[in-house]
Amino acid sequence: MKKKMYSSAALLLASTVALSACSGGGSSTPSASPGGASSNTGGSSGGETTLSIMWWGSDARHEATQKALEIYSKQFPNIKFKPEFMAWDAYWTKLPTLAASKSITDVLQMDAAYIQEYVTRGQLEDLTDIDLTGIVDANVIENLKMDGKLYGIPLSLNSQGMAYNKEALEEYGIPLPKTNWTYEEYFQWARDASAKLPDGKYPIGDVNTWDGYNFYQTAMGKPPMMADGGKTFTLDKETFTTMFETYAKLREEGVVPPAEKTASFLENDPQADAVASGTVMVRSATTGSVGALEQLMPGKLGVVNMPGGPAGAGWAQSTIFLSVSANSKNKEEAKKFVKWFITDKEAGTALGLTRGIPINPEIYAAIEPTLEPKDKLGKDIYDQSVEKAMPFYSVAAGFTEYVDAFKKEIDAVIFGQQSIEAAYNNLNNLGQDLSKRAK
Amino acid sequence: MRTKLGSSINLAGYVFISPWLIGFLLLTLWPIAQSFYLSFTNYSLLDDPVWAGMDNYTRIFTSDATFKKSLIVTFMFVLFSVPLKLFFSLLVAMALNKNLRGMNLYRTAIYFPSLIGGSIAVAALWRNMFGADGYINQVLSWFGIEGTGWIVNPDTALGTLILLNVWQFGSTMVIFLAGLKQVPQEMYEAASVDGAGKMRKFWSITLPMLSPVMFFNLVLGIINSFQTFTAAFIVTKGGPINATYVYALFLYEKAFKHYQMGYASALAWILLVIVAALTALNFFASRYWVFYESDGRKAK
Repeated sequence: MKKKMYSSAALLLASTVALSACSGGGSSTPSASPGGASSNTGGSSGGETTLSIMWWGSDARHEATQKALEIYSKQFPNIKFKPEFMAWDAYWTKLPTLAASKSITDVLQMDAAYIQEYVTRGQLEDLTDIDLTGIVDANVIENLKMDGKLYGIPLSLNSQGMAYNKEALEEYGIPLPKTNWTYEEYFQWARDASAKLPDGKYPIGDVNTWDGYNFYQTAMGKPPMMADGGKTFTLDKETFTTMFETYAKLREEGVVPPAEKTASFLENDPQADAVASGTVMVRSATTGSVGALEQLMPGKLGVVNMPGGPAGAGWAQSTIFLSVSANSKNKEEAKKFVKWFITDKEAGTALGLTRGIPINPEIYAAIEPTLEPKDKLGKDIYDQSVEKAMPFYSVAAGFTEYVDAFKKEIDAVIFGQQSIEAAYNNLNNLGQDLSKRAK
Repeated sequence: MRTKLGSSINLAGYVFISPWLIGFLLLTLWPIAQSFYLSFTNYSLLDDPVWAGMDNYTRIFTSDATFKKSLIVTFMFVLFSVPLKLFFSLLVAMALNKNLRGMNLYRTAIYFPSLIGGSIAVAALWRNMFGADGYINQVLSWFGIEGTGWIVNPDTALGTLILLNVWQFGSTMVIFLAGLKQVPQEMYEAASVDGAGKMRKFWSITLPMLSPVMFFNLVLGIINSFQTFTAAFIVTKGGPINATYVYALFLYEKAFKHYQMGYASALAWILLVIVAALTALNFFASRYWVFYESDGRKAK
């Protein structure tokens, strides 16, 4: 009796362990599970290496990237991949938890908005010694360096501009926006256009995001809000007040939509997108994102660069990178792979424009004849932006909180719940506080 | 001999429960203990925690306006959604506590939305219903009423979330229904003989007999409402201007969006203290209104 009880207890325990081992091995999220950890710690049985790789993006990007990985495994049969891919939000929720357990994938896609945060925390490997001569413009590389070191291999050209509803503007007899317009011309254009538009249609949208304002502050020759990795914080009171007073007036005049309308816009939603719904004539768009809008209203869009000031307008540079984890056990193989990713023609063809305009001019030349109209719009934004472009200002480490606060404070102004000055004081206090805490 | 056998039986018992015991210790108790430690640190997830003493707590209580705002929003949510849900589910439970043909069908049909009510899909549906061009406004427009953008208007956004919560009354309703069936029929019969009307029966029999169930639903309702997350996360993202920035969402964003795990842990412990205090208060107050048939104590 006693013996029987023991053996059945032991059996139960054993089967539980076996079961949990199974679920670990069969999991599709390698890096978080015990199965994934083993791939990090070597995985080199018989000269074979498994590289784990993670990226975010659309289905088109997922398929193209998997194809590129297959090509690499064909060219280098000793390399296998453990890919993980998801959408933007999921990616940036998952990555910090992987970082916390020191199990970031060997190779990972990085974005200009976050790279500083990860470099500052020592999560990314120094890639300065990868030779990219003839593949990426030396100036571009120089601009991307942080403290003289490169932490991400740029994949594509990107730029910030604006997309407008060309069809509607022509219909109402409104002149199309011109390249290299200034903010003054932008606001004047909006007022003139408003007179010709019917009720319920607006020439331009409101601004409530940190970058929407940062474009203005920097274009006016002031420093960016966050500099030196967050140690210097500048919110210029005069510029801030001028811009948001201008928008308050425009809102009153009906040039900019009322608060509630602004709050209900949903980017790239067929019914709720500001421009695709026909409500607003112009909105900001990047080389990488304008294609999504074009698909909602094919053939109706035109593009122009960001309005500017004395110091420049918008930005034009790489914002998507491939990085290597500082904790990777396969750094050399990973570095070899990231260089190949932007060098190999076959891979270039498979990847197409799924990450924007390829940074390697040779590869771009090879795929140019196959471009669709939506891709050409993106290139058009880049070509118009490159002359006046300012640097890309990213969110400094520890400032994500500020980004959220910015939107909320300005929304409160737009809804008439607080004054511009109150918003300025709140944001300035928070920013100064965060910059003091930045290491 | 006897003690030896006893201890080995105990041992076997522990081996049997060990999967759950280990699970509890490693996956529940350990993280809880760790979060308590982390609440005294600065921890960005990306590098190691740094001891910060009471810094997180000091900042939360002295300089964090969002903390106050989200606490107010959460209290408002609890204050409205809990009583409304209790009232509504009791109403429905009483309606369903009748002997009609096909009653089981009605019960199933009415309980059904609650099966899917807490899901992300329903939250997404809610967004479409209460949007500026949503179904609610379309229906209103038939009557010549121009509805506001319910979820983008700071004055109405929280209301739509409360409505969504109240609509998920199913499990509360089922518990009430079970409670109603426990009320002895002879009490009603005796009351009828004494000439009591419907209202009198409700106030003097149904409600006192149901008070333990009511108390149970109240305690659970308060605890659950304080942790509400999905609706605010999916429908409004806490907006507009923090009007629906409930505490759990605030905590989540601090941890996984702003990478302030230490601060978020401190917030979690504060929430625990608040909920524990309210529950204790509830138990204390229950002595004055909850009636237990078995212990012979009378409410009042």
